[in-house]
Amino acid sequence: MADFEIKDLRASVEGRQILKGVSLDISKGEVHAVMGPNGSGKSTLSHTLMGHPGYTVDGGEVLFKGKNILELEPDERARLGMFLAFQYPVVVPGISMTNFLRTAINAKRGYDGKDKSKQISPKEFRSMLKGELEVLHMDDSFLPRYINDGFSGGEKKRAEILQMAMLQPEIAILDETDSGLDIDSIKFVAEAVNRMRGPDLGILIITHYTRVLEFIKPDFVHVLVDGKFVLSGGPEVADRLEKTGYSEWVTEEEPKEVA
Amino acid sequence: MGLNAETLDELRGEPGWLHDRRQSALATYERLPAPSKTDEEWRRTDVSRFDLGQYSKLEHLNGQKLVLPSALPKGVILKPLRQAAKDHPDLVEPRLFSLVHADRDRFTALHAAFFTGGTFLYVPDGVVIDQPIIGQHFSHEGGTSVLPHTLIVAGKNSRFHYLDEYVAEQEDEAGYRSGSTEIFLGDGAEVGYVAVQKWGRNVWHFADQRAELQKDSSLKLFNVTLGGKFSKTRVEASLVGQGANAELKAIYFASGDQFFDFHTLQDHRVGNTRSDLLFKGALQDTARTVYAGLIRIEKGAARSDAYQANRNLVLSDHAKATSIPMLEIDNNDVRCTHGATVGPVDPEHLFYLRSRGIPETTAKRMLIQGFFGAVLERIPFEHARKLVEAELEARIG
Repeated sequence: MADFEIKDLRASVEGRQILKGVSLDISKGEVHAVMGPNGSGKSTLSHTLMGHPGYTVDGGEVLFKGKNILELEPDERARLGMFLAFQYPVVVPGISMTNFLRTAINAKRGYDGKDKSKQISPKEFRSMLKGELEVLHMDDSFLPRYINDGFSGGEKKRAEILQMAMLQPEIAILDETDSGLDIDSIKFVAEAVNRMRGPDLGILIITHYTRVLEFIKPDFVHVLVDGKFVLSGGPEVADRLEKTGYSEWVTEEEPKEVA
Repeated sequence: MGLNAETLDELRGEPGWLHDRRQSALATYERLPAPSKTDEEWRRTDVSRFDLGQYSKLEHLNGQKLVLPSALPKGVILKPLRQAAKDHPDLVEPRLFSLVHADRDRFTALHAAFFTGGTFLYVPDGVVIDQPIIGQHFSHEGGTSVLPHTLIVAGKNSRFHYLDEYVAEQEDEAGYRSGSTEIFLGDGAEVGYVAVQKWGRNVWHFADQRAELQKDSSLKLFNVTLGGKFSKTRVEASLVGQGANAELKAIYFASGDQFFDFHTLQDHRVGNTRSDLLFKGALQDTARTVYAGLIRIEKGAARSDAYQANRNLVLSDHAKATSIPMLEIDNNDVRCTHGATVGPVDPEHLFYLRSRGIPETTAKRMLIQGFFGAVLERIPFEHARKLVEAELEARIG
């Protein structure tokens, strides 16, 4: 049995069905890539897995640590060990990155404002941060700034990976983390992700382009078209897409033929 | 019943001019009609249940507690207003109620007739006071009237900070409260003024805070409204000298069935003046707020900049914020913006925080604090900033 099992997941947005039965098993230690053209349902998959209130689950289940996480609140999913690196991280004025990171870590450790022993110590927090900032080639000047406020596109994505490193999830979904990044930023991000790779972490990379997969080598690649997987395989699937793109599905398909 | 001519007799020992003024204000009060719903300013602000008869006892006959800096520079006068009226009529008489007019409405008249506590601060030309001056106005019991008035005269190129703190000893007190302030800024003066209103939750509160800014003077006024079941506050600045700059900021947090009303005026009488207003409030439960603000730029006031924004964070379906920005511009050579927003916590912000494991209630609290965060930084001095941060944190819970 895999550590994280998506079973026949169906989801819709504003009454329109987007995911039409997606199944995927992810075990810790594995890196899966989900690739697909625009509108195939990639971001619906990531948002539905994390519990965004704008997406409606129409069917299926997602099992993680003995629970159907579709029944949990987003924050419960995160505390259980899930993480989503956002494609478009939001700017939240008035809350500093430091405050945000510390509150998130404390929440994960079960600190509810009462039992101080569960709180991360300032020293531990600083030393954790220092190490991760170095890997991501970030300086600490952005820590007192408001969440993502005034960050460049690349800084936002790096800040997402920094959060991931600090929160140490067991299942991480990277939603188009490569989009809008220059090659150096992709390398820094990939280096940080590769450093976290290992037997304690399962990764789901969602991407339109194969470029990021040159730096973070996937074990499995799945092609999502019109809300369903049309092809799954090893890294060679990415090579095939590199050559032909999505033309074999997008030109042939009108969604109904594929479905 | 209520406050009347006999009550005025309690205020013996004042100079004749002040006594006459009080009597005239009382006559004005009796002459003026109660605010009517047809009057735009009172259309959404219901005072029909205000019963003055219940609050006939005056508190603060001897002024309030002043927290003085350890040493005041030579020439600075700081004392209870009624004492100052006696000791310094030359400074007080021409200014008292010359910005906040007694005949503006029934409540300003009542305040002018019966004000008791309050401070007079005079800072001579060129004098700089480093430590903030703090006036604390306490209400000790329910059922009373507490009507403090602050009069501040800032000499040319003087520089200082002043805090008025309105404090209830009992959170559930009922009563009639005011807290009005007049600030005169001489040429080049720089004044930071903060008013923190935290009366009890069953109080009727009426306040008028008005400043007059001479040439090149600069005012940073910060209003914090937290208390009262009914609170009506006017914040007004008249820019009468070129180069004057008024920053008018406020935050309010309304919960339960509180009702807050704010009226603001940025009155640009001459050119090359600047005003920047930002009022930010959060509402929960069944609270209601009304903000109405006017930027007035007079004919000769070319090259003036005026900004006005009112932002409301509505945390409950049953709370309601109304925002009415207004412009009256008689000169084309000006820069002017105004805007208002009324809305809930941004669901994308909430989702982002929750996706990191932060529980919903914590995330909401952080977002409310964040909403106020940037404007709190504009509180002109640290003592007041710390006080307001702690006060907000306790209320946001």
